[in-house]
Amino acid sequence: MARLELDDVRKVFTDDDGSDIVAVDDVTVDIEDGDFLVLVGPSGCGKSTTLRMVAGLETVTDGDIRLGGRSIVGQKPQDRDIAMVFQSYALYPHMTTRENMSFGLEESTDMADAEIDERVENAADLLDIPELLDRKPSELSGGQQQRVALGRAIVREPEVFLMDEPLSNLDAKLRSQMRTELQRIQEDLGTTTVYVTHDQTEAMTMGDRIAILDGGELQQVGTPLECYHRPANHFVAGFIGEPAMNFFDATVEGDRLVTDRFEYPLTADMREAVEGADGVTLGVRPEDIEVTADGPASDDDEFDTVVDVVEPMGNENAVYLGFEADSRDTFVATVGGMRRIDAGESVVARFPSDAVHLFDAASGDALHNRSLEDAADTEPRI
Amino acid sequence: MRDILSSVRQRLRRVARATRTSGDAGHGGEDGTEANGDDPALDDGAVVTDGGTTAGSDGFVDRLNDRFGDDFTESAPFWLPPFLLVGLFVYGAIAWNFVISLTDYQGFIGPDYSDLDFEMYVRAINDSAVIDATVNTFLLVVAFTAVALGFGLLLAILIDRNIRFENTFRTIYLLPMSLSFVVTAQFWLWMYNYNNGVVNIVLGTVGIGPISWIGNSSIVLWAVVFALVWQFSGYTMVVYLAGLRAIPTEHYEAARVDGASTLKMYWRVILPQLKGSTISAAIVLMVFALKAFDFLYSLVSGYRPPNGADILATKMVREAYSTNNWAYASAIAIILFLMALSIIGPYLYYEYKQGNL
Repeated sequence: MARLELDDVRKVFTDDDGSDIVAVDDVTVDIEDGDFLVLVGPSGCGKSTTLRMVAGLETVTDGDIRLGGRSIVGQKPQDRDIAMVFQSYALYPHMTTRENMSFGLEESTDMADAEIDERVENAADLLDIPELLDRKPSELSGGQQQRVALGRAIVREPEVFLMDEPLSNLDAKLRSQMRTELQRIQEDLGTTTVYVTHDQTEAMTMGDRIAILDGGELQQVGTPLECYHRPANHFVAGFIGEPAMNFFDATVEGDRLVTDRFEYPLTADMREAVEGADGVTLGVRPEDIEVTADGPASDDDEFDTVVDVVEPMGNENAVYLGFEADSRDTFVATVGGMRRIDAGESVVARFPSDAVHLFDAASGDALHNRSLEDAADTEPRI
Repeated sequence: MRDILSSVRQRLRRVARATRTSGDAGHGGEDGTEANGDDPALDDGAVVTDGGTTAGSDGFVDRLNDRFGDDFTESAPFWLPPFLLVGLFVYGAIAWNFVISLTDYQGFIGPDYSDLDFEMYVRAINDSAVIDATVNTFLLVVAFTAVALGFGLLLAILIDRNIRFENTFRTIYLLPMSLSFVVTAQFWLWMYNYNNGVVNIVLGTVGIGPISWIGNSSIVLWAVVFALVWQFSGYTMVVYLAGLRAIPTEHYEAARVDGASTLKMYWRVILPQLKGSTISAAIVLMVFALKAFDFLYSLVSGYRPPNGADILATKMVREAYSTNNWAYASAIAIILFLMALSIIGPYLYYEYKQGNL
């Protein structure tokens, strides 16, 4: 187990026609010993490339990767004490589960057979698959293959686990089950883990910290709640959270924000934050919008809206609201699942001023985040 | 294509069902045409004829269908004629050849089928020329197959490394395979020429030779093997390349992350996954090695290959057409046939076990 540091890591691919494509752009992340870091971002954001550079499967164009204080750039994958779980599991089809799991130990150590066997059986017990040890991968279900792939990494007892979307080939139910189990195993073993996913639920629930990438650039590193409540920029705010945060483009006019639909009053704090900014994007999370049936709007932060579509989820309803009937431009609010609300109904939506985020329209940087009781604990770190 | 086949099948099944009911109706003395009239598919005259026989021997046909599957008799018009033709001209000919090998047939007087014995086989076992030819055939098959497989695998691994001009290289290596044995034999005859051959000239520059490749009876077989390897390793390469392409990149990466060196990675992770490619390529190569007759024939323009390169196929043809020892040649042919069977048999059994047959 060790601390893993990525220091200004950069990866540039050169295309066939000689043009450069920057896949990872100066990413710096510090992963404490035993930490579970989730790298998350949309497809093509460079998260997998980053992971593969740590594994040694891609070269590093520029920057340094240190494991336990020692640079591993330029080392072959087999010399870095790491284990990787692949999205496709990459189990060797001609080997039984036992052979698959012992392969790494046989190749990377000169451990005695008995000792290897013991480790394999311990890992199999941990994963609850001892009865699968003598089966071939083709005789296993997807979930079982997933466990074997994990077992193959666990027996190595490496410094770092690297996981490349390991749960994305499982069905939804199994995925949430494995999510919990993976977390339990990681806590038991205390191994530093880097986990790549595009699924923001996995990122939120699994990571001690999450690192959000977009277009090869690191957007924010922080605990899941930091990223959720104090997003560093527009991208992070929109990426984390389901349904996504609502955004409204606005201009600052005195002590009000003016959009083409409504005007929103600015508090003193907000006015200070937006000073000097031309365009501002107002963001508000669906669950923070208060929907009340009794209209018309009486306060400055309340708006008359019409319900366009209701998506019942059971525990909550996602309500799409438009500023007028049949409007295409809607925003979403969530209300309790037991509350009855119908399409076409006129309701009042309130954006509470303590739940509003403001972003610079040009750079996307956060100018003002929602207020929290324990704001001191969740200062964003970049 | 598959859609068309399945619709034809369905149609046939419907026709057979209809004719069966109409047949039964006929037995009962009622008008069967009504049943026919219901089904427009019955316009197919040929198929109805087949169904007609069905009506007569219902029990037997049902038993056949129970034994071999639902559409055994219905599909007979399609598979039966080729089945009979192959049966007669391939297996019938083999059987006849075997019978001839039991006679004493030689010269211009026809075979005498009244006196059958294994005399010719005894003669073959005691004939040192046949034993030499058998050993040569065996060496040719084994050495050629092994070297061509190894060399083809090496080429495939090198080409699979995302090199530039990959397609060009692949075509270049595969090209010799498209040439006829007659061309390559003539070509290698020039290459191996004692005085002016490229091989001797190249070796001469480093002070080796000249070597009489064709004339030396202890070298000639290996010279032939080398020429055949040159011609066929391109084929092995293509087969292996397809096998390698089917292995996901993650397996290489997983093996590397697992700590395996390149050599170990290929040996323990990649090669075992190429088992299927190896078997199918090996079968094709062995069959080609058994057919090396064309190559040897073209090399010397006759049935008498260079000393040390006589194989069963050339020996057989020489016995038959040069000396008219028909029965003896047939016996050699059967020996060659058994050798081929010993290669194909296990393969077919393997495929059967895998559920591919």
